[in-house]
Amino acid sequence: MFYLGISAYFHDSSVALSDAEGNLVDFKKEEWLSRIKGDKTFPRLALQELINSFNLSEENIQSITFYEKPVRSWISVLKHSIKNNPLSNDLTRNYFKNVWNSSMRFQMDLSKYIKIKKISLLYSDHHLSHTLSNLYYYNNFPFVSVVVDGYGDKYCTSIHHVKSDKEIINLWNSEYPNSLGLFYSAITDFLGFSINEGEYKVMGLASFGQPKFYENLKKTIKFEDNKLITDTKYYDYVRRIDRSFSDLLTDLFEIEPRLPDVSLKIGEKKFQVYADIAASAQKVLEELLFSIFQHAYNLTKERKFLFSGGVAMNSAAVRKCSKLKFIDQLNIPPSPGDSGAAIGASYFGFLNERKNKFNNFVSKNNIKNNLFPGKYKPKDNFLEFGFDKIADTDTSLNETSKLIAKNEIIATCYGNIETGPRALGHRSLICNAHNSELIKKLNSEIKKRSLFRPTAPTILKEYAEKYFYLENSLMNCYMHMAATVTPKAGVLENIRGVVHIDNTSRIQICNETQLLGKILSILKKFDIYLIANTSFNISSDPMVYDEIDAVAALHIMKIKYLLTENGLFKKKFEIRV
Amino acid sequence: MTYIPYPPKEGKDLLGTLNEFAYAEYGSFLEVLAVAKKVESPRRKFGFIKHALEEYRHSSLFFNIISNQAKRGIGKFKREYRYFPQNVIIKGYVDKEGFLVEKLSLKNLIEFVYANELMVKETFDRLKKINSILRDEESINILNSMMEDELDHHGQAKRFYEIKFPHSKLQIALKKERFKRNFRLINFHNIKLLNKIFDPIINFLIICFGKIVNLISIPDSNNENLMALNPKSVI
Repeated sequence: MFYLGISAYFHDSSVALSDAEGNLVDFKKEEWLSRIKGDKTFPRLALQELINSFNLSEENIQSITFYEKPVRSWISVLKHSIKNNPLSNDLTRNYFKNVWNSSMRFQMDLSKYIKIKKISLLYSDHHLSHTLSNLYYYNNFPFVSVVVDGYGDKYCTSIHHVKSDKEIINLWNSEYPNSLGLFYSAITDFLGFSINEGEYKVMGLASFGQPKFYENLKKTIKFEDNKLITDTKYYDYVRRIDRSFSDLLTDLFEIEPRLPDVSLKIGEKKFQVYADIAASAQKVLEELLFSIFQHAYNLTKERKFLFSGGVAMNSAAVRKCSKLKFIDQLNIPPSPGDSGAAIGASYFGFLNERKNKFNNFVSKNNIKNNLFPGKYKPKDNFLEFGFDKIADTDTSLNETSKLIAKNEIIATCYGNIETGPRALGHRSLICNAHNSELIKKLNSEIKKRSLFRPTAPTILKEYAEKYFYLENSLMNCYMHMAATVTPKAGVLENIRGVVHIDNTSRIQICNETQLLGKILSILKKFDIYLIANTSFNISSDPMVYDEIDAVAALHIMKIKYLLTENGLFKKKFEIRV
Repeated sequence: MTYIPYPPKEGKDLLGTLNEFAYAEYGSFLEVLAVAKKVESPRRKFGFIKHALEEYRHSSLFFNIISNQAKRGIGKFKREYRYFPQNVIIKGYVDKEGFLVEKLSLKNLIEFVYANELMVKETFDRLKKINSILRDEESINILNSMMEDELDHHGQAKRFYEIKFPHSKLQIALKKERFKRNFRLINFHNIKLLNKIFDPIINFLIICFGKIVNLISIPDSNNENLMALNPKSVI
């Protein structure tokens, strides 16, 4: 029997599948298949692919769990808007008009693709789905789980005491509109980036600034008497649909909101002001997180923390939180945002079934830390798409390493894709991390990213300790680039290309059984100990998924080499793009 | 290979129109990529990849033209021109219920490509003529190059169709697509009127449902075991 979990309608939608033992057997994001970044529509393509791969039907699906409670989600914002806004406000009208684009239509959409008469349909709590997505990977109970996101069926922040996977107590919440996630999104919007897409750009930009607006900004959102309070007169997300900040916030910053076509060039006066705003928002975010984490500790006295929700993707804040003296361990799932909540929903279905079947419920203890679940492999027909095979499977890693040593950039489309938003080797662009000029080219010319955004390195554990100051509490996070570290003084100049302006790197530590670990083992003989690793996609497109996407992306980005499970390929000619 | 945006009125909202074209071309890129994934023959797959890349290039070029025009001070770059990939769905250039290749038969798909590539070319022509302000050489060259591509796609579709469906008439398909497009155009130009009609109805619904919604109490789960809550409940 299988347990399906689905997340949709709000952020990037996805589907997760667990087997009868509760192991995650597959996970797919709709954007990988539709090729629309952040696609939040019902994940029909992802679901169809799982149905075909696993012959899913109502005969072998035990339950389908939606990641939140749809009516609660729809009503919570509406109630607030009706109560606090005049009748004719945009937000209320938009909510009414779009009711059939919201999660209220989940069952109707689902029934188009699979018969659901015999299947148990379940609805998890939104933040519980986040907590469970974390428990999928870490289960040495007890924990305290902190969930911080924009908004999820009623609550924006939660503290759960996880005593076991059958006892998860909801201890504290902050209700809409008091939201740390929506605060950061409003700043993202002010700085001219797209909400739900540009938050990491704000984080990157923050390192270039000074928190000059911190004192002003912290008046707009605070943690007081164990409550998170947003002063909504500064934030229009409670009343408008076209922007998240109000004119009052603009007055605080004394600069116009950035229009998206105004380029951010390092060193320019406006760049510095916007960087200062980003730095101020980052500082406010971090301090509020400290308060929430402190409150979580006070409530539970637990020293092992789980952290999830969209805000958990802020790797700079994660590092600072890990330094809090009451935290021994800080775990983040590979996909902490809403798409990863499908994994939690699927796990919820499994746990619910176990609870119903067995009186002596025993917590599951065979969870694999699987970063690449699923059996999908891209087809090997690159020879028919204008490629030469320059190395077979046996020799491809050696040849790849030689090319990296010659300062070539290699794309990988290797086995199944990684679960989370960070490329961990299977859909990556990799090159020599000791060559900062090459990384600059990769970042700006090939990926078309802004120069203020950092590039991450991948390193073997034995060298990670030589190059970086690691935090014991974050060792799990380093497996999937969830936290930043500081490089040791003596190595800085040698790896400048993968160190951000604030002297941090968002590292991935891998072992020698993983693809990048194998390549790094070979690269030692060339005195290369780090690989620069960024996702195989052009800015604003989803990560490459199959062989067709790979071919298209290689031409768009003008990259010559592609590493797959079947060998190393070289493009014979360029198509004009 | 997607629905065609509407040409602007004389000199009005040039950047807005170009923005629509950029998304329409991006929608075409996605549609053609979906076809590449669906066809079996590797030769055709590669052909469709190349076609998709041309559509991608067109989309990027339109975004470049917008940037060029904004830099020349022609029109204001509005916040809504910020690139947001999901706009291809929101603006209707890709249907969230499925790509054309999933919904149409091969015959209908080729008819669609034939008719729409031709109409896109005509629309580009109109865009060039109407917007006398689109004067910079780079932007004109980009448009000319794209028009050539569209005519090429139109020609390819025609050749393929005539081999595959020799007894069918493409002109009928073209008329059908023109009719559909004109219907969408009427709808598009009357959208403000439709809003004027429907907004009072929506406001009335808000008054009625708003009162009911306020009476609904959302359960609080403070200090409760979340694993013990009713998993069937939607609230």
